[in-house]
Amino acid sequence: MDDTTRLTNDQSIKLFIQRDYSEGTAVKFQERFPTELEGRIDRNEFTGIISEINAIFADAEALSCKTFMENCCACLTGYLLLLCMPTHYEKCVKRAAKYIAEKNENVLNHRGIFMVDPMEKGLRCIEVCIANTRR
Amino acid sequence: MNRKWESIESKNRVFCNGRCITGHNLGIFIFALFLIIAISGLFFGFDCPYLTKRLSPAIPVFAAIIFLMVICCIVRTAFTDPGILPRATPDEILYLEKSDNSQNVALSGRVMEIQMYSGHRIQLKYCQTCKIFRPPRVSHCSLCDACIANFDHHCPWVGNCVGLRNYRYFYLFLFSLSILCVYIFVFNIINIVLRAQDASTVADAIRETPATIVEALVCFISIWSVIGLWGYHTYLICRSVTTNED
Repeated sequence: MDDTTRLTNDQSIKLFIQRDYSEGTAVKFQERFPTELEGRIDRNEFTGIISEINAIFADAEALSCKTFMENCCACLTGYLLLLCMPTHYEKCVKRAAKYIAEKNENVLNHRGIFMVDPMEKGLRCIEVCIANTRR
Repeated sequence: MNRKWESIESKNRVFCNGRCITGHNLGIFIFALFLIIAISGLFFGFDCPYLTKRLSPAIPVFAAIIFLMVICCIVRTAFTDPGILPRATPDEILYLEKSDNSQNVALSGRVMEIQMYSGHRIQLKYCQTCKIFRPPRVSHCSLCDACIANFDHHCPWVGNCVGLRNYRYFYLFLFSLSILCVYIFVFNIINIVLRAQDASTVADAIRETPATIVEALVCFISIWSVIGLWGYHTYLICRSVTTNED
């Protein structure tokens, strides 16, 4: 993970998109458009990225037949099975990291925006760094 | 490249290149592990040979399976990250200070109010050490000096906090340990009774297997607390509440 503290200087702004607890303790980030991004990126595009991240984390914690069987088999083997294969949750976390990296490369970096994976912060917030090249 | 665990600020210890995270004091955990291995070892060494011949070879097989489950679960509970929340970076603290200062108070005195769709209002308190507004169900453990998600309690027997990510291993550890204690205790009694039948007096039987009495004593003492704790956690799971919230 790149050291993002180097972006902190007079020319850049950092904002933190907090968690949305209005529906409970499930992992969900606030889907509101921060005013500092006005003019840099399309409003719907940005909130679309946030809602896709929310959807991936919702899928990670969703109960399905597959996760039920995975957990039962892991329990019966004394959790030694988890040393051999990644869990559904770990796969989803990896998918979210890949999605954010791909969006950074294709969409956000061109506009001077850099989004940090929320897992780096313990799923507390999504850090968005804005490089202020214009004065 | 600096890994995140190398710059961890809490009192947690990290082993195996970041794969194992545990609490600060491991003394009681080592003692608990030693006790479990010693009692099981005595059981396999002294009771099992006689019981295998007299009753069935399935007895040590089941005991071995339960013992392995106990060891797997206690090691998983001790070395899994319970859900430690990383502390806030200086940029985050600055952003929080600037963002909502309508109450015109310093960060430590503020509460964050959340209006939920169900109609409840919850208040998030500010953690002085971690410099974050604690999400719901998160609590700060003073022994580990970190905020833990879904904080249950800090278990000295396991040497780690019990939280969101290692609660299932802790519960299964309690469950398998209860079964192991009862199993060893029952077969100790059966061992003494069968030997007394063969050797005609109970005193002679005990002289043949002195370790059995030691095991039975340790199991008897620990059965009450382990089964009690297991029952309590089953009740908490049914209510979907942590020990901290009870």
